[in-house]
Order: sequence, then C-alpha cells, then structure tokens
Amino acid sequence: MIGRSEHLPDDRLVECYFSDRGGEPLDPPAVEHLADCQSCGMRYAELVGFLDDMRTASDVETDAVFTPERLHQQHEHILRRLEHASRSARVISFPGQSSSHPAAAAGRVAPRWLAAAAAAGLFVGVAVGGTFLHPGFERSVTSMHVANNATAAARLAPSATVLVNAPANVSDSIDDDAFLMQLEFALERPHTQELQPFDALTPHVRPVGVNDIH
Amino acid sequence: MSDQQSVRQPGPAAAPPVANSRERRTVPGPASEDTRLAVEIRELVAHGDMDDARDRFAGLVAAHQRRASRIAYQYLRDAAEADEAVQDAFVKAFGHIASYREAWPFEVWFTRILINGCLDRRKARARRDRWFAPADDTPHDETRVPFGGVAELDPEAQLLARERRARLSAAIDRLDGRQRTVFMLCHYGDCTPREVSAMTGLNESTVRVHLFRAARKLRALLGAKS
Repeated sequence: MIGRSEHLPDDRLVECYFSDRGGEPLDPPAVEHLADCQSCGMRYAELVGFLDDMRTASDVETDAVFTPERLHQQHEHILRRLEHASRSARVISFPGQSSSHPAAAAGRVAPRWLAAAAAAGLFVGVAVGGTFLHPGFERSVTSMHVANNATAAARLAPSATVLVNAPANVSDSIDDDAFLMQLEFALERPHTQELQPFDALTPHVRPVGVNDIH
Repeated sequence: MSDQQSVRQPGPAAAPPVANSRERRTVPGPASEDTRLAVEIRELVAHGDMDDARDRFAGLVAAHQRRASRIAYQYLRDAAEADEAVQDAFVKAFGHIASYREAWPFEVWFTRILINGCLDRRKARARRDRWFAPADDTPHDETRVPFGGVAELDPEAQLLARERRARLSAAIDRLDGRQRTVFMLCHYGDCTPREVSAMTGLNESTVRVHLFRAARKLRALLGAKS
C-alpha cells in the first residue's frame, strides 16, 4: 500500500510503463496513487511520453532503413548461408575423379606406376644419350667433381678415348670451354667494390674445375 | 558492467518467454512458440535432419528479423554492418542450436548472441578507427544511401532525421555503461526488465531503476541541446 505522503519509486514507474506497454493490468495501488498524486502522475507522464516518442522515432527510422524488400533479401541471404554452412566439407580428388567411386582407389595405382616408368625411361634415355651421342657431356659432368683422388683419372680416360674417335666434336667442346672460361674470367671478380670483401670470403669452385681438366 | 562488456549468459531462472513483436507482447506463458520451435530444431539437428531444421529455422528468422535489425542498427548505426551482424547472429544461433536450453526463451538467447556480435563489431571498428585514418569525417552510415530507405525522403527530412539520430546517439553514448546497456536492451531490443535481468545478471528492480535514470538523463541531455 502506498501512502499519500510517499511517492512512487523510479522502478515502480518503469514497472507500470512496461505493464501498460505489454497490455498487462497495472498494480491497482500504483494506479490509484498515480491518479491522486500530481507529482508522480507528472513523472509518469514524462517517462511514458519520452519513451514512446523515442520508440516511435526508432521505429520510423528502422522501417525506413530496413524496408520489407531489404528484409526479404536478408532472409534469403541467411537461408543461403545456413544451407552452405550445414553442408559438410568434401575433399575433391584430383584430377576430377570422384572419391566415392569404389574403383577410385584401385585406379590411382596405374598412374603412379606409369609416372615412375616414365621418369625412369627419361633418366635412362638422357644418360645413354649423353654418353654415346654427346661425349662432351660426360666430360663436363666429370669436371664438376673435384678430381683429387685416384678414381678421377679413370673416369676421365674413357672420355679421352671418345675425343680421339670424334675429332669434330672436340673443337665444339673446346669452343664451349673457351666461351665458358671467358665468361668465368669476366665474372671472376665483382665489379662493385663494396662486394669484393664478400667475394673474397666466398669459396670458389671455378679454379678447381679448370685445373683438374688441364 | 560497461557497454563494451558482453551480455551475460542467462541463468536457469530466466524470464518467462514473451512474444516476438511489440504488439504481441502479452502475459508470459510457460513456453513461447519460438522456444518450442527452437527445441524442435535442436532435436532435428541432433538427428541429422538438417533440411527440416533449416525450414523450421526460417520461421524463426522471419519472426525475429525485424527486431534484430533494429537492435543491430541502433548499436552499430550502420545499415550494412547491422545487416551483416544480423545474418551472423542467425547463422551462429543455428550453428549452436545444440547448446540451446529451453529454460531460456529463444528471444533472450538469440538477443544475447546478437548483442555480443554487435559489441565485437564495435570493438573492431574502434580498433580500425584507431589505426587507420578515415576517408572522411562523416559518421559511419550517414553518407551511405540505404537500401530503399531514407534516401527516398526529401533532403530536409533527411537532414533533420540525421541530426536527430546524431543527437540521440551522442546522448546515449554519454550514458553510464549499465544504463546504456539496459536502455538499449529495453528500448531497442524490446526486452522487458525481467529479460534484461536474465541477460545481464542484474536484479530486476535494479534494471528498472537504471532504465528510469537513463531515460531521465537522456531527456535532460536532449532537452538541453534542443
């Protein structure tokens, strides 16, 4: 029971406002007090008026921004995202074979063997071709190794035989060597002075290869 | 509790459910239609019936979409960002529907997800504003043409609406953190003090007091400026 001398506290006014807004019956003593007490009636009227005004303004504003068309589009977006999100991730096998196909696992064996055979064939072909068709190839490969052991001489011997048997190719290989040597001399020292200390600290393989050949 | 603080998870003694529109807000019943629907969706998801679950969830989206957009827009003041926040909140709600408990009204549960998302976006925006120079000094969405919205008004009405929004937004920003949260939830979120109490963990009477003081302060701020 609220006496005449006591005013309604703030929270009671808010409670009345929400009850009224929700269509619920107001607390009878509070209604009676609001009717009798001018001060509380004014406070309540100010509160209701202010909140209702703001409410109307926010409704108008939101309706202007979120039109039915926009809400419909938003609804569609949400449903699309839900559909996309609830779809479990799939691993797509490359190149385009379905992983769910029962023969897929067995089918993968053949390409693997094929690839291995192709790689082996290529390697053998290059090696044989390099040995018999381009004698300089073997020598150049040999020159890349540091020949500071006894087997190096044995490796160089067959290539010397080939050089005797194929004089035309000798001049070609000599030209190549001369060209490469010129190139190496040109690049032997960096032209930038600031880089020369770094170059001095860097080990070089060029002299070793040249000295071993000659 | 500051405005940037997340809304607390409602406890088991949450408020009774309420209807989802302002007009339908009536005497709370034992469980709202939305809550029952949410429970059904949860069961469907648990049984792997995703298509049916999505179909049912579409109904919830339609029922809460407008209200959610209003809340997000008032928090973010940017129509496009509010749109994204609403979408994210619905997607997140559906993704976490397994954790939904019928002790909480769906509206309360969903609003909490939405507001947390909005607060995260506000934090991210504040970070962006701290590190990147803005392209211009206009407010976030004031220059953007809304999707068939305010741009259709005449320029004078647009200007007045923009000024009113700016004043109100500035006044709300000057509220104390708790007052601001309570006001936003009650006013824009259509939540009753009991629901706000469930969301924030504050006493229901305290929520009402905060709301009253927020309204009084806002009235003073807006009245002083006008």
